[in-house]
This record gives sequence, C-alpha cells and structure tokens, in this order.
Amino acid sequence: MNAGVGELPHPPRLPDMDVQYEQAAGEIKRLQRCINDLVSLLALPGIWTVSNPSQILHTLLDALMRMLSLDLISVRLNNPVGEAPVEIVRLAEPQGPLPSTHEMCEALSHSLADNSRKWPPLLRNLMGEGDVSIVPLPLGLQGELGIIVAAAQRTDFPRQTEALLLSVAASQASIGLQEARFRIQQKHIADELDQQVAQRTAELAAANAELQFQVGLLQHIPVAAWTLKPDGTPDFVNQVWLEYAGQTLDFVRSHPEAWMTTVHPEDREIAERNFWEGVRSGRGFAMETRFLRARDGTYRWHLNRAVVLRDAGGKVIKFVGTSTDIDDRKRAEEKLLRSEAFLSEGQRLGQVGSFSWRPTTDEITWSAEMYRIYELEIGVPVTLELIRTRVHPEDVTLIEKMKMVDQAREGGHYFEWRYRLLMPDHSIKYLHAIAHPTRDQDGQPEYVASVQDVTARRLAEEARDKAQSELANVARVMSLGALTASIAHEVNQPLSGIITNASACLRMLATDPPQVEGARETARRTIRDGNRMSDVITRLRALFGRKEPTIESVNLNEAVIEVVALSIVELQKNRVMLCPELADGLPLILGDRVQLQQVILNLLRNGSDAMSTVEDRPRRLLIRTERDEGDRVRLTVQDAGVGFDPQAADRLFDAFYTTKGDGMGIGLAVSRSIIERHHGRLWGTLNDGPGAAFSFSIPRTPEGSAHADGIHNLQAPAVAGSRAA
Amino acid sequence: MDALSWRGALWLWSPASKRSAIENILVCVVDDDESVRESLPDLLKQFGFAARSFSSAEEFLASDCVDQTRCLLLDVAMPGMTGPDLQQELIRRRQGIPIVFITADRDMIVRQRLIKQGAAECLSKPFSDTTLLEAVNSALHPK
Repeated sequence: MNAGVGELPHPPRLPDMDVQYEQAAGEIKRLQRCINDLVSLLALPGIWTVSNPSQILHTLLDALMRMLSLDLISVRLNNPVGEAPVEIVRLAEPQGPLPSTHEMCEALSHSLADNSRKWPPLLRNLMGEGDVSIVPLPLGLQGELGIIVAAAQRTDFPRQTEALLLSVAASQASIGLQEARFRIQQKHIADELDQQVAQRTAELAAANAELQFQVGLLQHIPVAAWTLKPDGTPDFVNQVWLEYAGQTLDFVRSHPEAWMTTVHPEDREIAERNFWEGVRSGRGFAMETRFLRARDGTYRWHLNRAVVLRDAGGKVIKFVGTSTDIDDRKRAEEKLLRSEAFLSEGQRLGQVGSFSWRPTTDEITWSAEMYRIYELEIGVPVTLELIRTRVHPEDVTLIEKMKMVDQAREGGHYFEWRYRLLMPDHSIKYLHAIAHPTRDQDGQPEYVASVQDVTARRLAEEARDKAQSELANVARVMSLGALTASIAHEVNQPLSGIITNASACLRMLATDPPQVEGARETARRTIRDGNRMSDVITRLRALFGRKEPTIESVNLNEAVIEVVALSIVELQKNRVMLCPELADGLPLILGDRVQLQQVILNLLRNGSDAMSTVEDRPRRLLIRTERDEGDRVRLTVQDAGVGFDPQAADRLFDAFYTTKGDGMGIGLAVSRSIIERHHGRLWGTLNDGPGAAFSFSIPRTPEGSAHADGIHNLQAPAVAGSRAA
Repeated sequence: MDALSWRGALWLWSPASKRSAIENILVCVVDDDESVRESLPDLLKQFGFAARSFSSAEEFLASDCVDQTRCLLLDVAMPGMTGPDLQQELIRRRQGIPIVFITADRDMIVRQRLIKQGAAECLSKPFSDTTLLEAVNSALHPK
C-alpha cells in the first residue's frame, strides 16, 4: 500500500514485508483476543457456583455469541431426572418466522447423529439461503450431559482459536453443569433427608402421644400397674400399686430399687434375677413373688408380668407391667397340693390305688400308688397290654371287667372285682377293687375304681384258716372223745356179737354129733356183724378222720340222720328226747358233707349239754330242716335247756368262750366258720320258753351269694362274709 | 381150785347129755340190741342153760319168766327202763334175781357202782365165752 499525503515518508519497504507485517499484527491481535476470551471462559465457573443449569447455559451462550460472532448457537441439556431436556437456541439475526426451539433442536440432533461436522441441507431452511458451518460440542466426558452446537455462515468457521475457545467453553460448561447437577442432587438428598426426619419426628410424636394415653389408662385399671424405662428404673407406678405398697410416686421414682423392699425376703433373689434378665434381654418377664401389703403387714402372692414396647426401629421404649394378686388362688393351690399329698400318702399307707377309664377314648389313668402296686415305673402310659403283663394269666383284669360291665350296661351301681397279679419274681398279689360309673368334668362317662392290695390280709386269713382248721381238728378230736360212749357202742356191739356167735359156733361143732345148722347160723351172724362193724368204722373214720374238704351235693336230711345215729346213744344216756322234723323235698346243697355233719353234731351236743341239769321238764331236743327264702336251706336245733345270757349273745361264737366247765369253747366258733365258708350264716336265738335254738342257713349253690369271685371259696374263705347277729 | 369150783369145772366140761341137771336153769337176756338177743341165748344153750331173751325191761317184767329166772343178763343202757332201773324194780318186788350186767361202756366207775348196788357181775362188751360162763356161775353160786 502506498503512503498517503502528509505522512512521513516511510522507509521504502518491500511489498511482501508489509503484507507479512499486517498479517502478523492481525494474528497477534486475534491471539490476544483469544487469550482474553479464554481467561473469561476460565473465570466462568466461578460465577456459576450458585447458578442452576439453565442459568449456566444462558451465560455461556451469551458469552460465546459475543465472542465468536456466531449466527446460531444451541444447546440441548439432557435431564437425568427423566424430565424433558433443556433446549436453548440463540440466533444472531432472526429472519422470518422461526420454527420452535424444540423443532430446531430436533433437526440439529438428527443431523448430528454421528457426531461429525457436516453440511446439513436442512439448515438451509433454518437460516435462509446459504450453507452453515457447525461445530458440535458434546458436554460431559461421553456427551451424556448434552450438546452445544455453534453455527456460522462464515466459510472460515471455525478458525483454530475459535475451535479452541469452543472446546474450552464446552469443557467449562461441562464442569459447571456437573457441579450444578451435583449441587442439585445434594439438595435433593438433603431435602429428602429433611422430609424423612420430619416424618420420623411426626411418627414418634404420634407414638408418644399414644403411649401417654395408654399409660394414662394404667391409672384406671384395677390391678397394680407400672412402667419401666429401658434401663429398668420405674418411671410410672399406678395408684393401685402405690396404695398397696404404701409408697408415693416420687419416692418410687427417686428410689429405683425401692420396689424390692416390698418383696418377701425369700423371694428376693429369684425376683431380682428374673427382673434384670428380663430387662437386659428386652424380653420382659413373668414371675410370682410375695409382696408386702402396707395396710396390714401381710405378704400376698402376686403374678408380675412385664412386656416390652419397642419403637419402629426395634429399640426398647418402655416396659409395661402388671402385678396381679393371686394370693387366694395360690393358697387354694397349696391346699390342693397338700390334700393331694395327703391323698397320695393315704393311698400309700392303705395300699390303695386309683384307676379310671374313659370308654370313649379308652384312656386309662392310674394314681402313683397303682404304679407301686403293679411295680411299674410311675408315669408310664397305661395300656391293656401293660396291665396284662402283670395280671395273673388265669384272671380277668379290672379293665376287662369294666369293659364287660360297660357293654352289658349294668351301669349305675358299684361292683367289686377281685383278681391276682403274678409278679416277675413269681409271687402273687391279691387285689380287691371297688368300682362305679360316673361322669368326668366334661360330662363324659368314666369308670373309677379303688384298688387295694389285700395280699397281706389274704395271707393272714389263710393263716387264720389254717389255724382254725387245726382248731377244728382239735375240736373233732375232742368230740371224738366225747362220743366215746357212742363209738364204744357202735363198735363193741357187733364185736361182741362176733365173739359170742363164734364161741357158740365152736361149741356147736364140738358136740357129738355136731350141731351143723346151729353152727352155720352163728357163722352167718358172725360175718354179718363183721361187716356191720366195718361200716361203722368207715363212718367214724369219715367223720373224725382228717380230710381235705370235698365239695359235693349234700342231702342235708341224710346227713342229719347219720349224725343222729352216731350220737343217739349218748343222747339217750343223757335222757334227751330227740324230735326230728326233717322237711320233704329239701333241695341238695353244694358243700362239704363231713364239715356240715360236724356242725350238726356240735349243735346237738350243745343242745344236749344245755339240758344236762334240767329235771322238771322233758329234755326235748328238736332238730328241724326246712327251705329258707332266697333259695336257701335252714337247719335248726332247739333245746329246752338253760338258754344263754342275751348280753353275751355275740360272744357265743367267739373262740374260747364257753359256759361249760370242762369245755374248751371252740365248737361254735369252728361251726360258724364252716357255715360261713359255705356262704351261709349261723346264729342263736332264745326261745319264748326255756332254752335256745341255734340255726344255720346255707344257700343252695355258691352263686346264690352276692360274690362274684373265683372258685377258691371253700379252700380259702371269702373276705366279706356275712356275719350273723 | 377148791372143791366147789372143781365141781363147777366138771359141769363145764361134761357133755350136754349129762347136764340135764342144769338144763332147767333159766337165764334171761334183756338187751335192746338185736345181735345180742340173737347170739347170747345160743351160747348159753351150749353151756347147758335154758335161755330166753327180751328186748326191754318192760317186756321181761310183763313176761311169765320172772319167777323162774335164775340169772339175768341185763344191758345197762336201754331206752325206757334202763338196766339199773330194772334192778331197782326187782329189789322192790323182792325178787332177788342175780344180775350180770352187760354193757358196751367200759366205764370203771359205772361198773363199781353197779356191783355196789348188788349186781353179781358187770361185763363189758365184747367179752369171751369163758368170761360169760364164769360170771353166770358166780351169779348162780355166790360165795
């Protein structure tokens, strides 16, 4: 370029150098401007510390438009929260009607799908005529934040400095936007936290209010109630408790251990242990202790129960508890335990066990003594199989008998049952049960039995019977002695006949000639008398010999006749007038003939003896047989003698009681036991006139009696025999 | 043995045909036992006595033998009038018939009492034939 007029002449320069100089100066200016702009851009984040993303973008776009003389700049910010993205578009000179920001951004984003600089044909429409150069600037490391698009119609766009500015701007924007986003998130979190706290606080307040209300209720319930803090110190005690303990609320609060002083000294250790365990574990507690009642100084049992209250997070808020007076129930319990102990002890002493059976469930229950009797472990479940392992194989068990009674619907009354146990050591136990049907507390039918071990009694009875039979033997022997006259008579008569006849026979044969007919006759008589004697001896042996009892059908009249025949001589000797009145058609009795004859003999002798001093009236001895009611047979021996003292009536049958000087007094005792073994009874009555009458009445068969025991009646006597007056 | 008993012994063993002298001696048996009434008379006849039997004292008293009876074999225990009763009755009638009691009872006390009351002898059953004969003889010929 040429120098103008008036200007100092420049040194002649080369045309190249001017151009280069101008170019250089321009370059320097551009670079200076660029650096200024960079500085500005770098300062931007400082401004953005309180800005929201929108503000940031506006600021940025303003800055860029100004710096770079762009024709268009747009930004699309992705909103991570899921809201619509922020889209801003700035135009240098809006021309004509513009499509919406959104449409424009859409168009731009379509064009920039592959993220490279292109000549988008659509932009022609946006900007009017002409092509536009665009620079896409992704925001964020992967462009996840959004994108800025700078566009200009200049062909030289973007120059290096411009590109640099744009990329720095994009970085700064990214930074700023990230920070803004972070701040927003922080704020959200803080807001949420605030919200939660507010909610929690509200909940707590509500819970607290509820709690206060419920605690308030405690004041009104009729049991002693209290609350404890989580550490176990009491913070509230209701009026009922305070009145009982005679303490005030303040006292309780200020002396946390005060409640312990009201506990009975013996219960303190356990109470303390349970209390602290319950509090520390947070499980609460339930325990029974005795508390001192202030009013009268008595200790009463209470049930103390505490439950824990926790908040929503599971932390312990309080313990709430009650103390209920259970003293009456406890004392009733104690009484029950005591009476149960008495019963149990009583059962043990009496060797009586309890046995119950419920037909509907087949459930069998035994008392402890029952287990002891059976020698089984207490508490083992009782079944029929178990019972059968102990009950004698020949006997029916009590439970089986109960089942029979139940099925036969004999119901409503007591029944007895006797059976034996065969123990593992082969010893035998005799059991006697009394049972009856009843209803249990639910109204279900139930059979209940008391079972007694009567082995000792049985053995004693057997020993007694043995002694009695020894005694009876003695009595027999003695009566044998008393019947000497009869025996002598019975035996000596035929013996005498034999000797006389045999002597005569010899003499008859010695004559000359021998008297054969006579001899024959005497010989015949001899044989006859020999047989007669043999019969007598057999009969005597039967009556006085020692034999085991034989049970047979006995014709009582025939038995009487035999006895009378045996004692007739003696009776006649005593001038006794015997009057038999033997009924016809008397039924046969099942029993021991010999034993019954001994009784009859005893009665006849007693009757005869009773009349030994009678002189002023006939010595009449009546012996009568007749039917008795209840399918029984009665025999009576009635004398006209001295009778007996009515005061001593019940001693008549005692062993060793006698009114006779030379008697031993065992006749009636033995007779009674014989009759009782026949399930009968023997008794004596005074006549209207002089003398007495002794009678016995025997059932026809043992089934005629009330007992249902086994066959062992005549060998071993029934325990509950009937005793005559 | 003295002369009297020697004579008695001779009579004892003399054949029946030579005993006609004693055939007239009536011995009566009073006993309620049938076998006694059967057997004793036969034995007595073998001894050479005449013999009759009665089942009761009453029957004897009612009979016509009382005066002729030279010896009475009398049971002690009888229903109704007993042996001792009959003895008393005969004494009362001044019929001094010698009595030999026969009894099944071996009671010594009873025996002594009866002899004391005048019985010639009291025999306990069973007795041998010689015992019987001696008793009868001593009743017939009291010392």
